[in-house]
Amino acid sequence: MRRLSLLKYLSFASAAFVFCSCGILFGFLLYYGAPVIDAKLFFGSTRPADALFRLLPVWDGIWPAFTGTLCLLALTMLMALVPGIGCGIFLARYATGRTKEFISLALDMLASVPSIVMGLFGFVMILMLRSTFAPNATTCISLAAFCLALLVMPALVVTTRTSIESISASVVLTGNALGFSESQLLRHLLLPSAGHGIMGGIMLSMGRAAEDTAVIMLTGVVVNSGLPAGLGAKFEALPFFIYYTAAQYTDHDELLRGFGAALVLLTLSATLFAASWMLQHIAEKRWKGIK
Amino acid sequence: MQYCAELLNLSVLFHKRTAIENITVDIPADGITVLLGRSGSGKTTLLRSLNRLNETFEGYEGTGSVKMNIDGKSTDIYSTEAPPITELRRRIGMVFQTPNPLPMSIRRNMQLPLHLVLGLEKKEAEARMEEALRSVGLWSEVADRLDQQATRFSGGQQQRLCLARTLALKPDMLLFDEPTASLDKKSSELIEEYLLSLKGKYPMIIVSHNLTQARRLGSCFIVLKEGRLSRVISSMELFEKDPDNALELML
Repeated sequence: MRRLSLLKYLSFASAAFVFCSCGILFGFLLYYGAPVIDAKLFFGSTRPADALFRLLPVWDGIWPAFTGTLCLLALTMLMALVPGIGCGIFLARYATGRTKEFISLALDMLASVPSIVMGLFGFVMILMLRSTFAPNATTCISLAAFCLALLVMPALVVTTRTSIESISASVVLTGNALGFSESQLLRHLLLPSAGHGIMGGIMLSMGRAAEDTAVIMLTGVVVNSGLPAGLGAKFEALPFFIYYTAAQYTDHDELLRGFGAALVLLTLSATLFAASWMLQHIAEKRWKGIK
Repeated sequence: MQYCAELLNLSVLFHKRTAIENITVDIPADGITVLLGRSGSGKTTLLRSLNRLNETFEGYEGTGSVKMNIDGKSTDIYSTEAPPITELRRRIGMVFQTPNPLPMSIRRNMQLPLHLVLGLEKKEAEARMEEALRSVGLWSEVADRLDQQATRFSGGQQQRLCLARTLALKPDMLLFDEPTASLDKKSSELIEEYLLSLKGKYPMIIVSHNLTQARRLGSCFIVLKEGRLSRVISSMELFEKDPDNALELML
């Protein structure tokens, strides 16, 4: 009985710890970052309208880094979603025996690769390409997105797999007994039932891809390149801007801009999370047909 | 006598363990056939071999044949001439022991199978839904709550919903796996009432643990023992002997 209450207090304390750390971190960022968030932080001396319509380049604001991060995220998700969710479905529904073990092992290994190693892998790949059939290949946004996709893939696969596997067997049996084909079962029962979990995985990977610095540092991010010019172009990104500012700032104002950028990155992630959550919520309600 | 299913040397194994063995029996098309036997005697496996649902479980192996009357032709449903498995399962409707509405609204529960399996458009599906819900006496109870989560309704209502969902697909035959086992007395009686009202419209096979229920509903009894066929009795025979205790004696 005493043990149980000790455990109870410990769990309460742990929950409070998580909440407080998050609150302090956020409060700290808000305190330093919020005052500097304005048009000047984003666009520097360029007029916002000129920057938004790409009439004039932005040199001393975080707008290129902001756009760069958005583009990087979109590209990463484009590359990671289909193989990640597909592999999760395969493991949950079709893989058996040896194949399942091998893929799960590969996945665990991929998940344990540190991000800097993933960055090195991308870098070496470019070197290899340069010495073989693409002498002009260079580090760029597509390469960074590809390496990030590899980095976040395990989270996607595992959440998809576990959320499909945790669907009650009676749902599958019901679908089969009603005469649903395998693809109808997957498309109309299993994926929507697992939607919440899969969306959790997507959010986790988006967050990871948005914040990772180690991978992009070796695969194409630069301090100053303007807006990403194409799939093969260098790019700027918010986490790298923050890292660079923290390491190289020359005066207090510059450091504050770093805090501002950190807050912007946090807000960007939060907005993306909220948007995906809402989308999932709407989709689930439509699927369930509940009014 | 007309038969709805003719089983020949049917055996089913799961992970090399025998569930039913060498069963040869003809199931009459008229009235309700009741599968009886102790737990683990293979009743559910036998029932599921009629809509090929056993195959969805891991480690399944089966031999033998099940002939059914499909579009006026006696066809072995395990042969290559049989209709596709999805079509077969649509034709042989099944209601389970625990009500199994899908985790969605009543309307979606009724209409999703109609859209997917029969390809019905919205208007047609609406009409079919109403007709089926009326036939199980559920329409008046849920008509204004069609867009509410199906699992919020009572067990008896959920079970009638499942029956309606199966009926809406216009099956040729109905299978019931202890359909009242998880319901209270009143809901059970209501379900039994609807089962009796469907007598004559569909051949029906029901697994039951409840001998009183079996006697009330059944016109033919198939008794299984440890995966093998023990006896087949028509209710005529039953009542000629000892009407009150005959079933108990058999088991």
